[in-house]
Amino acid sequence: MEKELSPHDSLRIIHTMIEKTKQNISSQSHYFLLWGWGAFIGFTGQYILKVYFKYPKHYYIWWISAVCLIINSFYAVNYSKKKKVKTYIEENMGNLWTGLSICFVVITIIFSKTGWQNCYPFFMMLYGTGTFISGKILRFSPLVIGGIGSFMLAAISVWFNNDSQMLFAAAAMLFSYIIPGHLLQMNYKTTD
Amino acid sequence: MEFKELDPILHAPLRLAVISLLLSVKEAEFTFLKEKTNSSAGNLSVQITKLKEADYIEVTKQFKNNYPLTICKITPKGIHAFEDYVKALQSYMILPKPD
Repeated sequence: MEKELSPHDSLRIIHTMIEKTKQNISSQSHYFLLWGWGAFIGFTGQYILKVYFKYPKHYYIWWISAVCLIINSFYAVNYSKKKKVKTYIEENMGNLWTGLSICFVVITIIFSKTGWQNCYPFFMMLYGTGTFISGKILRFSPLVIGGIGSFMLAAISVWFNNDSQMLFAAAAMLFSYIIPGHLLQMNYKTTD
Repeated sequence: MEFKELDPILHAPLRLAVISLLLSVKEAEFTFLKEKTNSSAGNLSVQITKLKEADYIEVTKQFKNNYPLTICKITPKGIHAFEDYVKALQSYMILPKPD
């Protein structure tokens, strides 16, 4: 025997159920934090190795990307085993970041052939694009603001030398990935 | 004031909950729906069958790690029915304007 529903009951059920699907967004924060901290360590580490220690192979620090990639794959496989639902948000985010990852690889190939001068503003623009669109998809304004911040830092950094641009890139990671990533994690932690 | 008729398929707590969940996601496993609606497997199974018979949802059976897996997805007809249901609900919620 089914319980009699009032219009208010119906609206409450609809609202409650739609709210329950929102918590999946929190799973995205791991990726922002992983790549945010990884790239932040990469940029600051490269700057320190190059400017302070004058180490010629300062770019070796970017092996950290391989570590991030392994952790990322571990997260992704583990999450896909556990997940019981496919959301449009996750699908859109997946497509966005797959496209951007290809873009990062292609731009790295281009710079390795043409020289690394002014590579950082371009990387910052790609980082900004990712967080700006992600923020719009997730309707999470700190990511949108962070993305705009990255664009601004990319534009300003062209007035500085290549070494200083690394610090701009580190700042871009802080504002567009690390801070919004932590905010995203905190925002949805209570609903898990 | 005219009250629109509420779709009897959707005007039941568990079926409405299932449709509302499926509306927000691309597809969901049976266990996800069971967890979120806090319902028993038997009752949920019956309600899913009713929604499937009305063509409001698609149900596919698969295997995951050798365990059977039921995946549910809302159909365009289901989305349309849900929109009509919400419109009908609004006719009950809006008070008539005084003359």
